[in-house]
Amino acid sequence: MAKQFIISVMAKDRPGIVADVTSVISDMNGNLADLSQTTLCGYFTMILVASFPDDVSQQEVKEALCRKGGNKNPQFSFEIGIKESQILKRAEVHSGESMYILTAEGEDQVGLVAKVSSFCKRLGINILDLSTKLHEDRYTMILLLDMSSVKSMKEVRKALEEFSVKTGLLIELQHRDIFVATNEI
Amino acid sequence: MIRSDQILKTVSMIQKEHLDLRTATMGINLLDCRCGNVKKTCAAVERKIKNYAKNLVKVADDIGEEYGIRVVNKRISITPLAHVCAGFDAKGYIAVAKSIDKAAAAVGVNFVGGYSCNVEKGMSKADDVLLDSIPEAMFATSKICSSVNVASTKSGVNMDAVRRLGEVIVKLARGSAKKDGFACAKLVIFANQPGDNPFMAGAVHGHGEPECVINVGVSGPGVVARALERKIGIEGAENLRLDDLAEEIKQTSFRVTRCGELLGRKIAKRLGVPFGVVDLSLAPTPEIGDSVGEILRILGVDDIGAPGSTAIVALLNDAVKKGGAFASQSVGGLSGAFIPVCEDAELSEAVRKGSLTLEKLEAMTSVCSVGLDMIAIPGNVDAATISAIIADEMAIGVINRKTTAVRIIPVPGKKAGDIAVFGGLFGSSAVLPVRNVGKSSRFIKWGGKIPAPIHSLNN
Repeated sequence: MAKQFIISVMAKDRPGIVADVTSVISDMNGNLADLSQTTLCGYFTMILVASFPDDVSQQEVKEALCRKGGNKNPQFSFEIGIKESQILKRAEVHSGESMYILTAEGEDQVGLVAKVSSFCKRLGINILDLSTKLHEDRYTMILLLDMSSVKSMKEVRKALEEFSVKTGLLIELQHRDIFVATNEI
Repeated sequence: MIRSDQILKTVSMIQKEHLDLRTATMGINLLDCRCGNVKKTCAAVERKIKNYAKNLVKVADDIGEEYGIRVVNKRISITPLAHVCAGFDAKGYIAVAKSIDKAAAAVGVNFVGGYSCNVEKGMSKADDVLLDSIPEAMFATSKICSSVNVASTKSGVNMDAVRRLGEVIVKLARGSAKKDGFACAKLVIFANQPGDNPFMAGAVHGHGEPECVINVGVSGPGVVARALERKIGIEGAENLRLDDLAEEIKQTSFRVTRCGELLGRKIAKRLGVPFGVVDLSLAPTPEIGDSVGEILRILGVDDIGAPGSTAIVALLNDAVKKGGAFASQSVGGLSGAFIPVCEDAELSEAVRKGSLTLEKLEAMTSVCSVGLDMIAIPGNVDAATISAIIADEMAIGVINRKTTAVRIIPVPGKKAGDIAVFGGLFGSSAVLPVRNVGKSSRFIKWGGKIPAPIHSLNN
């Protein structure tokens, strides 16, 4: 088990995609690690990490997945992306100490996500997870952020306040531990 | 994994519902500062407080900043001063108090609790000096608060102390007449005073506590009020019963306490000090939307003080404890619902309207977590009547095996219905009428003790 692949799958949604993808991986002796999947507007997308024996190549995995996706109905064929990655130790991935959750809410308009993400970019904040929701004409973004490269929380909060005034977005930045503490037993 | 609806719920708890950490209070044992000499004791006390608490404010603010939840007050509680100053005369006590005040200003805390003694079963010479010097100490300092434990379920009520404290309260009021008797807000008379309460003015660092400790007090009446409104809004009042509402309070209290515990432990860890307790109290502030009175209204009384109010406070107090006890590793202090009249916009309004009376408040204190707290009464109420009010409240605590307290302010020159203003967190309130003034003098004159109740014999 020396190789690790990052695999992304996108397809028109139907029942059984996760089962198809993961059985292909296990048939090739691949071992799944992290996986994240969501659907949006009838489309399915997934990104996963799996480790494979040395003799399995990227191309083989990709072909096996494509075969599985399109074999019943070409309309549901998979779009596959695959990259080999270094195997990281768990501790190197993200330290819990610097994980924050940012929520931003405002009236729906063009470019909100771009504004918020550019703000993060400017301050060297990495977005690990992002989901947004449009309800009536209110737009809500929830971002999981890695702030390990941020030096001063004070400055971030100040910048955030100015950003909030400028954009009219209601913004709140909390440490992830707060959410864990208030929602998990 | 945390779901997005949970995230948004927590965010609104912090953003719109006044969730904060009401106080991080550092308890410091001062017993090793005592020596035969006033000057040396003063120096030792000042040095120790400055040394232990030098980073308290910064660390609490930093943690608040990092976690996005404000730590509103940073405070210190100390060993009851009668134990530190025993052997000194009143001048000595005042000198030590001034040194503490100086140290408090230097480290940036807003209050220090502990100009205190325990006299529930009798009074030592040291207690005697302290009791008499309370007014002068309060006038000579700005950050020190005083508390006296005059009663306990184990020992009964020390009525000699109760009588003298009525007089102390009158002196405090007269000496701060220009500020509507504000000095009285810094004195709390207790039955069953806890030694780990982080809230002022009644905080002390009791015996049996570690050398130094961090206790925190959570807040959150606003959070509970909004949670109830949301629940009623979503499910419809016609589909809910009181047990459903109690459950909602319990769950909300769980969340509020978890935040408090998380922050408190982080603060303690960074300061290198053991973490003590979370005090789960619903502590209101005069701010709109941060009121315990509002919760009573939501739960079904149109005016606070109407029949049913006591039952609602009982339900609320119990639900808060249940949710909080599960959320925290160590609960302590007062833990429950406070009903400090001046500090709670809706309670204070109920007093102005006349729906909430002293007698009803007294009934409510038998099921709330503290007692007659921050109550303005007419300035001409005599000391004996004040002592008798204290005695009633102490009896409630002693018999019900609970903490009760009295923080009462006879407002000089003002009569029932006038407005007393204390400002800031202390708020303002209409002056409550006291009925039957002057009719308890014979009772107070007896002195002596109300013996310990039969259920103190539980060994």
